[in-house]
Amino acid sequence: MKAILTSGVYSLAMSLTLFLLGSVKCYGSGTDVPADSAEVLQELEVTAGRRPLATVQKLDGARLQALSSTSIADALKYFAGVQIKDYGGLGGVKTLNVRSLGAQHVGVYIDGVRITNAQNGTVDLGKYSLSTLESVSLYNANRLELCQAPSEFASGATVYLQTRRPDRDSLSVMAGIASFHSYRGRINAQFRRGAWSGFVDAEYLNSRGDYPFRYKSQYEDTVGRRRNSDIEFWRVETALFNRGFAFHGYCYVSERGCPGGIVRRLSDKYTNIGREWDTDMFLQGSYSHSFNNIHRLKFNIRYAHEYLRYNTDYPDNQNTARVDNHYWQNDAYASAAYAASPWRFLSLNVGYDARMSWLDADLKRFSPVRRMDQKAVAAAQLNWRGIRLAGSVLYQHYKDHTRTKAGAADPLSRFTPSITLGYSLKGLSLRAWYKCIFRAPTLNDLYYTQAGNRNLKPEYTRQWNIGAEYHFNTPLWAVSMQADAYINNIDNRIVCLPMKGTYNWSMMNYGKTFCRGLNATASGQYSHRGWSFSLLSSITWQRDVNRTNPDDEDTYDKPICYSPTFSCGITGIVAWRQFSLTVSDLHVSRRMWSYADPDDILKPYDNVDLKLSGGFRNFSASLEVNDLFDVQYEHIPRYPMPGRNYRFTISYSL
Amino acid sequence: MKLTALLCCATLALSAAAQEKIIFLNEGNWQSDNGKLSYFENGRIVSNQWFRDVNGSKLGDTPNDIIQVNDNLIAIAVNWSNIVQFITPQGKAVAATEDIPNNRRLASDGRYVYVTSYGHECGNELFDKGFVAKIDINGFKVAKAVEVGYEPEGIAIYNGHLFVANTGGYAFQEDHEYETTVSVIDAATMTVVRTVDTGVINLYGSMSRSGKYLCINSPGDNYDVSASTIIMDCQAVLDGKPDTECFVTLDYAATNNCTATDGRFYAIGSRYSYYSGEYEFNYIIIDPAEAMASRGHNGVSTQWPGTVVSDIKAMEMPYSIYVNPYTGYIYATDAGSFADSGTLLQWSPQGKLIGKHKTYINPGHLLALPPDGHFDGIDDVIADENNTGDGITYNLQGIPVSNPVPGHIYIRNGKKFRL
Repeated sequence: MKAILTSGVYSLAMSLTLFLLGSVKCYGSGTDVPADSAEVLQELEVTAGRRPLATVQKLDGARLQALSSTSIADALKYFAGVQIKDYGGLGGVKTLNVRSLGAQHVGVYIDGVRITNAQNGTVDLGKYSLSTLESVSLYNANRLELCQAPSEFASGATVYLQTRRPDRDSLSVMAGIASFHSYRGRINAQFRRGAWSGFVDAEYLNSRGDYPFRYKSQYEDTVGRRRNSDIEFWRVETALFNRGFAFHGYCYVSERGCPGGIVRRLSDKYTNIGREWDTDMFLQGSYSHSFNNIHRLKFNIRYAHEYLRYNTDYPDNQNTARVDNHYWQNDAYASAAYAASPWRFLSLNVGYDARMSWLDADLKRFSPVRRMDQKAVAAAQLNWRGIRLAGSVLYQHYKDHTRTKAGAADPLSRFTPSITLGYSLKGLSLRAWYKCIFRAPTLNDLYYTQAGNRNLKPEYTRQWNIGAEYHFNTPLWAVSMQADAYINNIDNRIVCLPMKGTYNWSMMNYGKTFCRGLNATASGQYSHRGWSFSLLSSITWQRDVNRTNPDDEDTYDKPICYSPTFSCGITGIVAWRQFSLTVSDLHVSRRMWSYADPDDILKPYDNVDLKLSGGFRNFSASLEVNDLFDVQYEHIPRYPMPGRNYRFTISYSL
Repeated sequence: MKLTALLCCATLALSAAAQEKIIFLNEGNWQSDNGKLSYFENGRIVSNQWFRDVNGSKLGDTPNDIIQVNDNLIAIAVNWSNIVQFITPQGKAVAATEDIPNNRRLASDGRYVYVTSYGHECGNELFDKGFVAKIDINGFKVAKAVEVGYEPEGIAIYNGHLFVANTGGYAFQEDHEYETTVSVIDAATMTVVRTVDTGVINLYGSMSRSGKYLCINSPGDNYDVSASTIIMDCQAVLDGKPDTECFVTLDYAATNNCTATDGRFYAIGSRYSYYSGEYEFNYIIIDPAEAMASRGHNGVSTQWPGTVVSDIKAMEMPYSIYVNPYTGYIYATDAGSFADSGTLLQWSPQGKLIGKHKTYINPGHLLALPPDGHFDGIDDVIADENNTGDGITYNLQGIPVSNPVPGHIYIRNGKKFRL
């Protein structure tokens, strides 16, 4: 919720914070499980059983449960090439950055339908729960299945959240207690009747989030407790499935505090209280049907509503702008995709989708904006003796309507290509791919009061990747390894900058980056007589440099702020029957956060997490210790992350 | 030999007169707690983290203004830390006052420090709009505070009165309009004695005083109202003249302005429109007396000394301009991309570029220290129109001087001034 602004920008500071989420990068990385398993049944993918051609990392089933994580962001930090941006605390916004492309280039999809936010283009992963998911997958570029909607091709990196289809009737209740006055409860009822299955899942969380922190350096020894870092939310989800039909309803209501950076103060006298209320809901349905294994059709529809209120007008907050703003977004989406495999070696995919978004806000000088976003795609895959070639061309068209005096931005239409080449021989797969994609300026970028710039150009990314993957399976052993080397660049970055010679900020196209990196993961599992030992590891090496201004020797070819050069994760899981012990370590190297002073760095850190879980009859319980060694670290300077914390949950199932 | 000795003497005298001591603030990034103090002396940056070097601790978040109070005291408004920090001219922290949250700008009469604040509470006192507080440097406590308009920014003291430019800058978020007024406060009693309505919204940006004149920027609203500059005659205000006779409005922006040693205002400004996405710059020198006398028709010049303007035009993000009142050396800062090092530029009084120096993030708010270490509070020439004296310039020994040297104190028409 915070942006980097100076005091000169008195009028913007607080409101800008609501959308300047894409510019700061943080890091997480870790362990992955390659998607070597068959595609899940409900997806009815024709390629079932075949290894994916795309670069993918996947966590599912027991391994997902074994990790010490409750939110999707926690699970994704174990993937190679991933940076989680987190302002700390339990209510902090958590967004995902993959291979330094920026959060707005990461598409998040629930059962194949993209979660969008026309206002700021990012998805707060903290709002989605792991508890109803079967798997979490990260595709660099995009997934390459047969029957995909155009939106599935429209992001630089793609996260798929796959909802679990119940396989039996059950009722379960969970209660949890955790450090910093956190209480959580969850109830889940699910059924299975023939081809029909479904669930209702409701969760409540309340946390004061008042964790202690310490800053100790040559110039300070600051000890304190995070204030205004509480969160309370309700989440209710329901889903219904029948073969190719799926329906999903979701509602999330929260209230949270938005704590600021820890700065020098003489006392605790002044609190800067900003609070945020969110209501997010969606209804989505999809239907797919296949005719004699040659033709396939898939339809998706979705309606989403988001409401956000940000308020700083409190009696005990007498020293900042008294803001009380409300934002409303509605979003309707429909897609149709058709795929055909006339011959075994060829498959074709065409699709069209349309999305209409409405944004309204009670800001001064703001007029409601309506955006029509249409996409079409044509894709083909060739498969000949282990050689696979996939190519796609995506067409996107954006058109906005608004009554604001400056008028709407000009319509935007662009074609973008991608191509992938792969070769498989026994357990070994080789792949190479290229993708060019852009993100359109968001409605905030274009129309936000006192910042929007309707002349913005889209922000382009180009990615090149070569990689190899190897799998080895015996009844006792399962080993897999993959490594990918990549290059990407970003052009016309959309950033918020102060206008030359004024105190006004405005969105602008400014900056280029160039990134080279290496992602590697390895995992092994040994199972014998009810015992199972797993080791998962990942390494990310990356050099992400600024190529904006060749004349500026202080910044040109220097690492992008917040981008670590190296990170790695290792997780060990020992399981016996219903018991398991997980130990994981995540290491992130130092990151600079400004070019102005060599001391402006975020220290490297190691996060060691432990999770012990077990079950007896209808009961199961787990105990987690996160940040075992109480390492003080941060993703954003002066936004401390919680140190060592505990979590205990107990659940009862029928 | 004789000539060499003479030259040496001349050089020595010159270097003594040209001794440059500048403290300036690096605002850093909001909420990053990285506000830093820089110290510049005789052509080099001594340190870009001077406060940390001297005190072993941090200054705080977003320092926003710095003034000298007396020989031994300097005040710094550290905006987001809600602190007014006091240091010695040697950089040593003396005291800090906490009761003025969201503090903005400072003025002083040598005994009290006056602070504008966008906040609404001062100690136990609550205000609906913004306020001005008065800190007694004998104890560094708030002596009194008075409510002014919404979001008061610039403050200057003239003849026992505080002139406060109200902005109403939170107007686009809060439920009030932009302010158009200058509040006039009796500094002794801390009561508002007059409110001058300029009819120009949002009196935000830097504000400079030269004698009885103020130079106030208005950025407008960047939509329908364009930027402009107000020149105000404080004496006319105190004399009770009607509002319209107290100021003139110039059709220029003065986003960053300062007072030069000749009493004129140097201003660099830009006007921006969110409608068109375009902005235009102006680089002007304002003679306030002439501007007032001609009702704004004259008194604006674009003839800058030397290469100052061309050097500023080459900047990425001009962030402040300043003239050393003791020596006439000209300074400006470039904030660059706001996330990397800024730059301090120095020119001779004739506008010859002397050097560029790397600073920390967002450098601005410069303060020159007196070369002889003695701060007398006389910061500019006060031109007296009802001139009854002989007009001859004397030195402090009472000897008439035909070629006064900049930086020294003289007496003319019975009044002390510094050239």
